[in-house]
Amino acid sequence: MTERLAIPNLGNYTVALAAMVIGMGAEPWWSTYTNDHAMALGIAAAPESLCLPFKAHLGHFIEADDAGVENALMVNSIGTCRLNYYRGMIEEILKDMGRKIRVFGLGFDGFKPPVFRYFDPPLIPLLRAVSTGVEKIRTIDTIELQTAYTRAREVNTGETSLLMERCLQELSEINSKKTVRLFHKDVRKRFEAIAIDKSREPLRIGLIGEVSLLRDRQLNQNLEQILGHMGVEIKNFFLLGGEIGNNFGISMGYKKNTAKQLATVAKPYLESEVGGHARDSVAHTINCAQAGFDAMVHVCPTGCMPEVSIRPILRRVSEDMDIPVLLLSFDEHTSALGVVTRVEAFLDILWSRRQRGVGLVNRPRRT
Amino acid sequence: MKIGIPRAFYYHSYPRLWECFFRRLGHEPVVSSRSTHKTLEIAAAQTETENCLPQKLFDGHVLSLIDSVDAIFVPRILSIVNGHNCCPRFGALLDATRAGIARGVPLISIEINETAAPLSKTLLKLARTLEADRRTANLAVQEAFAAMEQHHRDEAQLQQAQCDNRKFLLLGHPYTLHDHFIAEPIVNKLKKLQVPLELMTFGDNDITPGDILWCVFNKMYRKLQSLDMHVYAGVIQISTFNCGADSMMTERFRRMCKHNGVPYMLLMVDEHTGKAGVDTRLEAFVDSLAWQRADMAI
Repeated sequence: MTERLAIPNLGNYTVALAAMVIGMGAEPWWSTYTNDHAMALGIAAAPESLCLPFKAHLGHFIEADDAGVENALMVNSIGTCRLNYYRGMIEEILKDMGRKIRVFGLGFDGFKPPVFRYFDPPLIPLLRAVSTGVEKIRTIDTIELQTAYTRAREVNTGETSLLMERCLQELSEINSKKTVRLFHKDVRKRFEAIAIDKSREPLRIGLIGEVSLLRDRQLNQNLEQILGHMGVEIKNFFLLGGEIGNNFGISMGYKKNTAKQLATVAKPYLESEVGGHARDSVAHTINCAQAGFDAMVHVCPTGCMPEVSIRPILRRVSEDMDIPVLLLSFDEHTSALGVVTRVEAFLDILWSRRQRGVGLVNRPRRT
Repeated sequence: MKIGIPRAFYYHSYPRLWECFFRRLGHEPVVSSRSTHKTLEIAAAQTETENCLPQKLFDGHVLSLIDSVDAIFVPRILSIVNGHNCCPRFGALLDATRAGIARGVPLISIEINETAAPLSKTLLKLARTLEADRRTANLAVQEAFAAMEQHHRDEAQLQQAQCDNRKFLLLGHPYTLHDHFIAEPIVNKLKKLQVPLELMTFGDNDITPGDILWCVFNKMYRKLQSLDMHVYAGVIQISTFNCGADSMMTERFRRMCKHNGVPYMLLMVDEHTGKAGVDTRLEAFVDSLAWQRADMAI
């Protein structure tokens, strides 16, 4: 029997990561979001003041161990953020709890990370699975973009979310690059079949901040859907395809957002890299202000080291460039209702700004 | 020129260096007064709600300096010890201060990145931007370093002098251990309890690199690694509320101390910490260790 490998939740992109795990000769154990049960387990076991993604990871792995999964995989980073030490800490906590699950790190682990040494996958199937995975990432990027566009304009509320789920379900079941490519071509047509109200001019809001919070809908209280159903077209700035292009220099068709370009954009406000996606958050806010977005929403876990320390800068950009920024922090006590209330109030302000024609004076409207 | 130096973060990481350096260059350094609850009150209205306590204190110090000086010295700190890095907050410190609390105030700044260039070179560069000639700059750098090293030596001697065998080790960042608001009540209480105390020192930059990249924590880690349970009665760690690095490392240190058989206590300090709460916890910790010792003697 093949051993199983639990991978952390990266929202819809987990579908693509799971495909890559299959190529390593392991059976993936995954979900597109951390469920309530896993969250509760993680919160109970983690040190209190660690951030929400840590608790989500830990809970997810405990749940995996309960299900008899032997291995887990998470990212290793070498940045200034405490993510650097998460793998080691999770490993120790799991050991203290008497759990058997092994936690591998992937990222800055040398030429051949331990996880490859352990599973020792044959090269050609692995490469094939990776290329299928990359194709799936591209497809999910398209699904994400289409969902954001359609959800804000749909006539029957909820249709788009259902279609998105269905697409992801189907995507997770196909396993060859060719079929994924065919499916990719089909995605756009499926979304176009949804009845939309073309006369609507939804608010356009950019989502920036910390990765897990942007992608895991359990952690962000389903923020994307809340906004979408209130008639907001969101642009989530964590598209994995673009991210891979950034970090490894592989072109994925998102030439505009390379780390270098974003650094240049952010330079007047922030000259050094802070860690995490902090500099990108600043750069995206500047870009969006120039592109005529109505507002930005910055999400991060409470006490996030890099993202919180750049919040004064976001406030300044917001003032200078006249783009409202809503700062949302999430911890295990955040309730969906609280988020809805804050978002509603924020949107009221945005609609009234639009009615009064404020904030669009020097900015081009999208045609 | 009157140059303001906030008595926070880098003031404590580089003791005496900045005052001496700016004075030698012919400027007048103005160090903000010791932090009190008032400092926090000044900061409260303008600082970021989710900032950690030391950052709030820093903001308070900057705000208290603004009206009385010509410029404020705020560096961008990427690395204090070669091969190590700092909390991300330090990297964003300059830009966040410029965008936030010190808006429109002239700032004197440099980028301290020990991994890329030694501090002496960075200081020479700073001296040049302050229009000092080469000779004065060199002298200023030398004297500033001498002053800092002297301070480290004095501190080390002071800690060595307490060679009592059952002493307590007080852990924390340089900027929490020497802060009047954060550590002073704790140190005073321990003195009152007549407990021999050693404060963690950070003068020695010659540390073995390990998996902990934050230099301050690597120093503490190395210290705890070689901790002799016969010399140290216990470890008290001061942590500040919402400090991200602390939340990670205190857990690790607690495990280490448990493993080494040294009692460990974590004291969390926040804006609302009452004196009575700290006193009670310290008394309880010291008493329980004394009883344990008495039990062992029988």
